[in-house]
Amino acid sequence: MNADVVIIGSGISGASIAYNLALRGLKNIVVIDKSYPTSGSTGRCGAGVRQQWGTKGNCIMAKHSIEFFETAQKTLDYHEDIEFKQEGYLILATTIEEEKEFAENILLQNSLNIPARQLTKEEALAIVPHLNPDAFISATFCPTDGHLNPFKMTDAYYQAAKKQGVLFRFFEEVTAIERYNGKIQAVITQCDRYDTSVVVNAAGGFAREIAEMVGVDLPVYPENHEILVTEPVAKMQGPMVMSFSKNIYCQQVPHGSFLMGRTTPGQPSNHDIGSSWQFLDEMAKTVCDILPKIGELRVIRQWGGSYAVSPDHQPIISSVKQQAGFYLACGFSGHGFMFAPMTGILLSEIMLDLPPTLDVSEYDLDRFTQNQKIVKEKSVV
Amino acid sequence: MRIKQHPILDFEPKRPILFRYNNQEVIGYEGDTIAAALHAAGIKVLSFSMVEKRPRGFYCAIGNCGSCHMTVNGVPNVKTCLTMLEEGMEVVSMETKVK
Repeated sequence: MNADVVIIGSGISGASIAYNLALRGLKNIVVIDKSYPTSGSTGRCGAGVRQQWGTKGNCIMAKHSIEFFETAQKTLDYHEDIEFKQEGYLILATTIEEEKEFAENILLQNSLNIPARQLTKEEALAIVPHLNPDAFISATFCPTDGHLNPFKMTDAYYQAAKKQGVLFRFFEEVTAIERYNGKIQAVITQCDRYDTSVVVNAAGGFAREIAEMVGVDLPVYPENHEILVTEPVAKMQGPMVMSFSKNIYCQQVPHGSFLMGRTTPGQPSNHDIGSSWQFLDEMAKTVCDILPKIGELRVIRQWGGSYAVSPDHQPIISSVKQQAGFYLACGFSGHGFMFAPMTGILLSEIMLDLPPTLDVSEYDLDRFTQNQKIVKEKSVV
Repeated sequence: MRIKQHPILDFEPKRPILFRYNNQEVIGYEGDTIAAALHAAGIKVLSFSMVEKRPRGFYCAIGNCGSCHMTVNGVPNVKTCLTMLEEGMEVVSMETKVK
């Protein structure tokens, strides 16, 4: 069959791009996924959304995306609540160096009208009383950060895109991208052939493999990041509690469970998404140090998912110079869910040659090839 | 329901234990678990499903299923099918606690 655009991947990024392209008048869009929507990183993510970043680009992406989430149900005309809860992110500083770094981050964030502020230990304890006062020295807090349901948010985009005429193909795996004279000709799956000259790579943890199909060496590597969830209890924590130095994020979700994750150091790059006792052990120790009361709760289950990590932990939202018609929305390094509204807007603007909402040069693929100094985002778990 | 008379087994009378369930007084017997005492007293709904709030009763009785989780003496998520009954316990079904 014919398609004007084939989007590979129906996670939140693919769904958002499809919706935004259709909204801007593009017809004949096909989204292909080797599994079902949210089966990859989207459905496995921590689902927190925050604006407290250390680079300007990420701050702006996050701020615009959160503004979208605030009205997403209405904008996308979705029949259900997307469970967006804005009770903030409390980010703990545990060393003097970290406190200084956060002070600079806050200046940057405030200059972009993000309402984050620094808190003393006492102020932080007033917001989350069960924090261990000996585990940190100060904190930063942004009240409009929050958490939402990744399944419902993706479904909202999916339903809205379908209403605009976008075609979705699930359980179809892309096996090759055909080219002739340097131009993309078709996307081949195990069951069909889609004649197209435009392909979007939104394949998450598999973005590198998709890029290889057109001979592009993409510096995006999947890494297993694990999460665990506890039994539910009555509400005791509003904001997400996070620490980069202690390597933890921990949030009480609306139905009462605590959801927490951390990075396992030295994780090899592969497609493993298994659960390990090592993670359970380290996660339990970390959370008991910072939020000791949570130690009283039982763990219900664990899961893993791929962070598609780029060299500077920032997304790649870009066209590709060496391959006309090939576009990238990948390498989100664990933050693709929270940036997805902007991902869809920015990539559709790049693809349709529209004036950009934001300066996207920071997310161009070329930043890795031009030997320029990479500004690494440090505010990551 | 308790078996008091049995054709081949004898049941020694046991010491009654008074406790509270959702602010009502209930009597169990020594050797009962909390869930067993409630069930025998005719209280068969122990918890509610998370989304639809449908009633959940005595199910696996070996601490695996979570059907009997209740708040006991202020502690949430207690496996009442494994916890022995004690005098004066305050047992609250969690519907009122978790939303």
